[in-house]
This record gives sequence, C-alpha cells and structure tokens, in this order.
Amino acid sequence: MNHVIEIKNGSFSYNDDPVFEEISFALGRGEILCLFGPNGCGKTTLLDNILGYHKLKSGSILIHGEDISTLGKSEIARRISYVPQVHDKSFPFKVIDIVVMGRTPHIGSMSSPSSEDYNIAEEAIKAVGIEHLKNRIYTTLSGGETQLVILARALAQDTSVIIMDEPASHLDFRHELILLELIAELVKTKKISVLMSTHSPNHAFYFENAGVPAKIALMHNRNIMASGLPGEIISEKNMERIFSITSKVFKNNLPGENLSFIMPLKTIKR
Amino acid sequence: METLRTLYMGISSGIDQPGGNVNMDIVWQIRLPRAILGGMAGAALAVSGTALQGLFRNPLVSSGMLGVSAGAGFGAALGIVFFKSALMIYVLAFAFGLAAVFFSYTIGRIYNSAPAIMLVLGGVIVSSIFSALLSLVKYLANPYEELPSIVFWLMGSLASASYRDIAISSIPIIAGITGLFIMRWRINVLSMGEREASSMGINVNIDRIIVVFCATLATAGAVSVCGIIGWIGLVVPHMGRIIAGSDNRILIPASISLGASFLIIVDNIGRAVTGTEIPLSIITAIIGGPFFVYLLKKYKGGNW
Repeated sequence: MNHVIEIKNGSFSYNDDPVFEEISFALGRGEILCLFGPNGCGKTTLLDNILGYHKLKSGSILIHGEDISTLGKSEIARRISYVPQVHDKSFPFKVIDIVVMGRTPHIGSMSSPSSEDYNIAEEAIKAVGIEHLKNRIYTTLSGGETQLVILARALAQDTSVIIMDEPASHLDFRHELILLELIAELVKTKKISVLMSTHSPNHAFYFENAGVPAKIALMHNRNIMASGLPGEIISEKNMERIFSITSKVFKNNLPGENLSFIMPLKTIKR
Repeated sequence: METLRTLYMGISSGIDQPGGNVNMDIVWQIRLPRAILGGMAGAALAVSGTALQGLFRNPLVSSGMLGVSAGAGFGAALGIVFFKSALMIYVLAFAFGLAAVFFSYTIGRIYNSAPAIMLVLGGVIVSSIFSALLSLVKYLANPYEELPSIVFWLMGSLASASYRDIAISSIPIIAGITGLFIMRWRINVLSMGEREASSMGINVNIDRIIVVFCATLATAGAVSVCGIIGWIGLVVPHMGRIIAGSDNRILIPASISLGASFLIIVDNIGRAVTGTEIPLSIITAIIGGPFFVYLLKKYKGGNW
C-alpha cells in the first residue's frame, strides 16, 4: 500500500527529556490510525512533529514520500490539516470566516481569500452538516458545534490527511457520535487519511464496526508497544500492561452485525 | 465655511505667500498640519492596537503594550535634558521606542519559540524599567525648565505641529500602517492561536515579527512627534470591532479611519473647551472612557 505518512525511527526530546524514541509507523490512503496511550505518553508531541510544529531530534517523517524537513510551512499545510482537542476561541468571527481560514495555505501570502475560496468553504460547511450555523458568531456556539466548525475548516484546507488530537474528548454523547460518523464517512468516500489520538479504545472499535479500514497503535514507555487491527490489539492483557486495570472486551459476532467494545472494570493497586 | 473658502484660496493661489492674509496663515500653517498630524498619529495608534490585540488574542493589549511608549518617553526626556533640540527629541524618542520593543522581544525569546505570553511579560518588564529610568531623568532634571517640558511632552500634544513634523513622522507611520494593512488577513489566522495558525501554513514566528515590527514602527513614529497619547490604541480597536466586526480585513481599515477621526476630534475639543489647551491624553481618557462604557452597554459587549 502507498503510504501517505511514514515515520521512521523518530525520536524527540524537550531539552534532554526524551518524549519518544525510535518510533516507526505508517498511515495508508483512506485509513484511520488511532493513537492510544496514557496521559502524558507523548501523543500530542508526536502529532506536533508530524504537523511540523516541532522538529524530530533524529529519524525522519515522510509525507507522500517527501521528507517533512524539506517542506515549507504552507507546503505541509496543503497536505495535512489539524483539528485540536479544544479550539480556544478568540474574537467573535462568523462561522464562515473561520472555515475560510482553512484556505490560507492555498492563497498568496499577501492576498485574501477569493470567492472561489468561499465556495470551497461553503461546501465544507455543507459536508459537515452545519449550514444553519454559517452566519452565526462562532463565540456563541457550544463546544460540540465549535468542533464541527473546526472540522469544516480542516476540510476547506483540502488535504489528504487530517490529524486530530483527541477530537471527541469534550463532546457530548450525540456530538461524539456525529464526529465519528463524519470521520468514517470522509475516510470511506473521499479516501482521506486520518491520524487521531484518543483516550477511548472504543473509538477504534467504532471504526472497525463501521467497516472502515482502521488501525490502532498503543503508545507506552516512549514507544509504540503494539499496533494493528483494533480487534487484535485492544485486549484485556494489553490494557493491564499499559494502565494497570482489569477490563473486559465484548464481542458480538451476529451475522451482519459485528460489534465489539471494551469496558474498564477495576484498577489494580500497584 | 470661512475655513473652506480659505482652504480653496490657498489651493488656487498657492500657499507660499506669508503675511498676505491672517486667515490663510492660520488655516494653512497651523490648523491644517495639526489636523494631518493628528489624523496620522490617531490612525497609527489605533491600527497598531488592533493588530496587536489580534496577534496576542487579548482585548486588553494596546499599542504601547510592548514598551514603545515607555521607551519613547525615556528617549524624549533624555533629548529634552541633554540636547534641547526638537529634532534630537524625535530621534531619541523614536530610537528608544524601537529599542524597548527589541528588548521585550529578546526577553520573549528566552524560550526559543517566543510564545505570546512571554512577549507580553517582556513588554511589562521593559516598560517598568524604562518608567523607572524616566523617573530618574525627571528627578535629575532642572525643575524650572526641563521638568515641565518633560511632563507636558508625556501628556501628549499636537500644538507644535508643522509640515516638518509631518514629513518626519509620516515615513515610519505610513510604512507601519501599510505593512499592517497587507498583513490583515494573516492577523485573522494568527488570532486562532499559534498551533492552529501554524497548521494552516503560517510561519508564526516570522509573521509575528512582521506584525510587531510594523505596529512598533507606526506607534513610535506617532509617539515621538506627538508625545504619549494613551487610550486610543486600546479603545479605538474596540469601537471598530463593535462597528465593523472582528474580521481584520474590514477592521484594520476601519481602525485607521476611526483612529484618525477620533484624535482630530479630541484635539479640537482640547483646543476649544477652555481658554488654554488641555493635553491630549487627559481628554482621550475623559471622553474615551465614558464613550467606551456607552458602546459596551449598547452593544452588550459585542459577543465577547
């Protein structure tokens, strides 16, 4: 398979504090990779490196086979867009003006978005299903609505990869599902690749259940402990090793309905 | 009406005929340069405030945030005490205004990526150091001549406006305003925060230096000729945001014209209200404060 993103033996440290060491993995076209691991294990820092916000201390990151260190900021931004955990709102912009900011890497450094860019932004708003919010002031939106606006902005950026940092961690039950459905839809129909960090292994199960090509990578002790299909990797044994908890995986193999999920049960005193 | 006729006479018969007509001298040699200078300075302060508020995502930031005003005040005081020439006062005020921001930026870079909060802290530190140095100069200044000059300079005035002042200050002011005008779309994106702006292809460190530099250039140009005029760089951006919205593509031009009008009006009031002239920063605060409260109440904070 053609790799959209490939990281080879990547290491990073803040000053002399290593965050991750000798990490390697790859993300294919039209595939979701969930990055899963305890708080502070370096998921966000790893994503920052792939976004070009930090630079690896050693190793390399390839985007469509090109080394990221040879690409400029807007060249990276034309290939990868980003949805943060929570968008920190600043000034009372209109929703459409937020979404059109996604066009920034496609327009000249001294110019403003054209009507063509606005058309693309409107399509992105439609794809996310928030036409009714188009002219609203975004500082008045709820957290769930805001996250959809930011996803529309990432779509307007028109990249082959979207990186999401725990995108659903602050969303209510319904908005979490809306977001997961949208991601599954984008990956299936537009063959976009998604790299997302998450604290819920059930997100990976959700994509597997929905029949979307999904993988999960477990990050532990500054490295990737295991990676592969969610059904193989999310196991009671692995959860115990990483989190010191007991848990139970439920599998439902009815014909035409393949459902899995995991339930945490009890912490193990260390 | 009289004024308009006089302006027209000046244009039709040329203005280089001193002594010919008293009205003509007043309008062309005193009032007009004063209005032009006031307009330029007001525009510079307001647009710098708008740009820096967007850059730092903070509505409490003003054009003097990074130490320009404090640095310029110290430079002007030095000029008044040691050189007594108007030109040296400009030059020193301008140079120390720029130097203060440079120090703030250097302090901000203690972290190698200069996050916004470090820059603001740098500005606070540098401002207070220059204020202390200014107090030292005031303390040592001759209390009968130099000290009053320093105090009046610090309160801001357009009274001595001349075409030479306009020529000197127009270079940095126009350069700074033009730069910010070009950057107005990028300021929108920068206001999304560093990580997100970076993910949308903005080189945050470079663009931030450009915005800070242009804002500093414009503010220093204004302050070094007109003295320290507070409040405009803080309040006019908010008036603009309430009237024109948050989109810097509209807000930046709106701030330019609002700032220019605001300072010209304030200057006229300061000239006309009492027999003697009232320094500018006194009026900007006395008028601007209640007017700001009125705007906030009327527009319920504009969705802040």
